[in-house]
Amino acid sequence: MYVTVKVEVEKCNGCKLCVLSCPDPNVLAYKQEEKHVVVNEHRCKGCGLCATVCPEEALTVSGN
Amino acid sequence: MSKGLFKISPGFEDVMPAEYKELVNNGPYGKDLGVSDLGTFKELIEEHPLCAGCAEALALRLILASLPNSEDTVIVGSTGCSSLLFPQVAVQNIHSLFGNQNAVATGLKRALRLRFPDKVKDVLVIAGDGATVDIGLDMVMQSWFRRELITTIMLDNEVYANTGGQESGMSPQGAVLHMAPLGKKFPKVNLPEIAREAGCAYVATISPALPRRLGKVVRRAILVAREIGPSYVQIFCPCPTNFKWPSAQVLQKIRDRQKEGIFKVREYVSPEAEAYLAGLEVVKQHDEEQ
Repeated sequence: MYVTVKVEVEKCNGCKLCVLSCPDPNVLAYKQEEKHVVVNEHRCKGCGLCATVCPEEALTVSGN
Repeated sequence: MSKGLFKISPGFEDVMPAEYKELVNNGPYGKDLGVSDLGTFKELIEEHPLCAGCAEALALRLILASLPNSEDTVIVGSTGCSSLLFPQVAVQNIHSLFGNQNAVATGLKRALRLRFPDKVKDVLVIAGDGATVDIGLDMVMQSWFRRELITTIMLDNEVYANTGGQESGMSPQGAVLHMAPLGKKFPKVNLPEIAREAGCAYVATISPALPRRLGKVVRRAILVAREIGPSYVQIFCPCPTNFKWPSAQVLQKIRDRQKEGIFKVREYVSPEAEAYLAGLEVVKQHDEEQ
């Protein structure tokens, strides 16, 4: 795995902007029950769009 | 085609890939899902092979999530970055020769109407700016002149991206690209205006920086093309690789271009299309109240 995406779930407000901004399907999913996003790093290409659009700065993308 | 096509034959459940099983069990077929539901269902595309941060890949993902009738939709693609996406898409799709996409879609739509007169079959053209405005403009415009009931979606990445960065008809004036080092000498082709004049009943320009609105626009375009006339949607998704933008900044760059007035969100709906869409809204409201 070359890319690490960290989600600080306590910061996530469930707006789903990151999900709507990710060009790759199946990287980010919204957990209805817990009301926060979860990430599948295996599919991530590390573009960082999700971290840029997050209004709460809940996501951090690192690696290459 | 039907939803049954995507079901697993009895006895084959164990050998099917996990992704396929998930698509059958949790996919959007037969459900009324849209862009706002993304992240809660199995999508029609598994993974994209384009560059990191590609707005075109994002646009296609949003289009697929907005299809009103995905199990009975056929997408006609053409050569370009977008054509690399289609092998991963779980919607019937055809790859046509560069620029021929609207001619292929015309034949397909007519054949589907003859073969399935009682069913709604949406034919969608998704192609890049090279296939739509440069090489295929002849076929695209002729299909509009003939009032073919197809939706044409242009993924406007403003460059011939997968061949190294030549300027296209949609590159902005002055754009310096890998294979256009002197800068483009003339402005972008105003295809939305041409589409309107050529007879499209619904014309819109949108970007993936406005995902929910993009979903609404695509849905309206497909609905208009079912009954009223051809529709055209231009999605502004400039190529970060060729314009040398950091991948994380793509959406911000699109918003900046919108502020500068280089890209404008526009929508044209003909009076007939407007009346038709208003009628559909009334029916939907009535169904919801029942």
